Amino acid sequence: MTALSETRAQPGRAAIVIPRRRPRIKGSSIAIFVFLTMVSLFVAIPLYVVIVTSFKPIGEITLGQIFNLPVQWTVQPWMKAWNEMCTGLACDGIKQGFFNSVAILFPSLVLSIAIASVTGYALALWNVRWADGFLFVLFICAFVPFQIIMIPLIIVVASLGIFGTVWAIALVHAVLSMPLLTLIFRNFYKDIPRELINAAIMDSGSFWKIFWEIVLPMSGNIMVVVLILMITTVWNDYLVGLTFGGISTKPMTVILANSVITSRGEAIYNVNMAAALLTAVPPLVVYFALGRFFVQGITSGAIKG
Amino acid sequence: MMLRWSWATPRLALAPAVVVTLVGFVGSIVWTIYQSFTQSRRFPEYVIDPARWFSQYERLFANETWWTALQNLLILAIGSALAIVFGFILAALIEREKFGEGLFRTVLLYPLAVSLIVTGLVWRWIFNPSLGIEAFLRSLGWQSASFNWLAAPQTAMYGIILASIWHGLGFYMALMLAGLKSINTEIWSAARLDGVGVTRLYVEIIIPMMRFTFLTCAILLSLGVVKAYDIVVAMTNGGPGTSTWTPAYFAINAYSTRSNIGFASAAAVIMLLITLAIFLPLVAATAWQARRREAARG
Repeated sequence: MTALSETRAQPGRAAIVIPRRRPRIKGSSIAIFVFLTMVSLFVAIPLYVVIVTSFKPIGEITLGQIFNLPVQWTVQPWMKAWNEMCTGLACDGIKQGFFNSVAILFPSLVLSIAIASVTGYALALWNVRWADGFLFVLFICAFVPFQIIMIPLIIVVASLGIFGTVWAIALVHAVLSMPLLTLIFRNFYKDIPRELINAAIMDSGSFWKIFWEIVLPMSGNIMVVVLILMITTVWNDYLVGLTFGGISTKPMTVILANSVITSRGEAIYNVNMAAALLTAVPPLVVYFALGRFFVQGITSGAIKG
Repeated sequence: MMLRWSWATPRLALAPAVVVTLVGFVGSIVWTIYQSFTQSRRFPEYVIDPARWFSQYERLFANETWWTALQNLLILAIGSALAIVFGFILAALIEREKFGEGLFRTVLLYPLAVSLIVTGLVWRWIFNPSLGIEAFLRSLGWQSASFNWLAAPQTAMYGIILASIWHGLGFYMALMLAGLKSINTEIWSAARLDGVGVTRLYVEIIIPMMRFTFLTCAILLSLGVVKAYDIVVAMTNGGPGTSTWTPAYFAINAYSTRSNIGFASAAAVIMLLITLAIFLPLVAATAWQARRREAARG
């Protein structure tokens, strides 16, 4: 974790970069610019291909020109993906998956952030003797592969009687993200000056009062970072949804994968691509709206892999 | 009374996290390790037969697909390491030429927001032999163009590697960029004054200074590779045959398709061991870094 917080803390120092002299445009600059443009094209082209495919009628797709713009633009594939796409025998579109994903997202956000922020605060600012040992255990927990805890979690969730519901998926997300989020909150809160907290304790501030009135109002930045990290993680998750979801509670990614990969019969490429885009849109919106925080969130959540 | 409360409340507030850690992680890991020594099939058994306590592991390592999975893990790790190399090169170029930094960063990083399932489906579409890039190149007149990688066992892993690099490139670039920006700017001007060439500057000064960033990237990449599951499902679903199975895919399959808890647990335990083998250097390096910083301060 130190390693990660280190890399995150560093961009701040970039402010003292001395502007380098650039009297004229050199050949090497042009070469670099061309190279960067080519790499950017490699990265950007798949998105372009998917977008144009999703707006083409199926007749144009069979021509095999994936880079061409649609001759005849159509939103039909998008409507079909949303309303009529088939998963197994049911042909209700991907919309059910969208609503399931939303229903999973909110409880898991509330639960994980509530637990992690309080835990991080207690570990950072209150003298808990075993805090260091506990943090080390959390550090390891943040790295372990999901498979090693999957089966016992299934048994625990089943014994709670919620297996197959959106609550089960949300709960498991909260459990899985708890170690990492706690470390992030703790690293943020430990920089709050001790004098401030000591003064608050003197002022007969209780644990909760200090949390609500002093610590939480200072947490704006880190909350945004954690929110972005959690939204992308939960929305993009496949394995937890697949393992803990029931027939009608699977998140969007699982429904998408099921209908595109395992469905038999003729593949309807434009509808598939529209469905893939629909699934990708929410985190992409978050990315383009909050780019700076997004980078921070992803780098601090790096260990999620 | 006041004092007692201020002692008790933080500990009470920690209770949920402690319970989650003990039940969800520590207890669960111990349970899985225990199960890997039993003969559990569909339902967990709690009796260990002393004569056969190691049999799940024997079966695992006698399984050809498991060896394929381990081999694929290695191939994937080596192949994806290109993302770190390219990430560094891109970061260095972007750092040198400030022109368009924001735009390049935005473009290079967006795949991170896309889920691996979507990533896999998109690349699957691009690799589609009759309608994807192969057909496009052939229509341009390059008749021998062959990009049907996912259909052949020998090349399917390369397809997965390409998609993984596409997905992770921006992330490693961002980490490298952060590492580069932390380097003292005086080094650049000193190097220019001394007439040190650009290549020498990077090879002999910058890269050694960034070894900790490189180590972090390498460890994060390896941990990601051990967990590689979604991308395999989306691109090949393990096929053709079992040629693109990974340990993560193997463990899930042993549980969900073969309904064999003991066997799945053994595979998961090996995954945990691989993770720990990757993880320990990070702990050591972090401790070393901390000690060095302390030494520099004192």
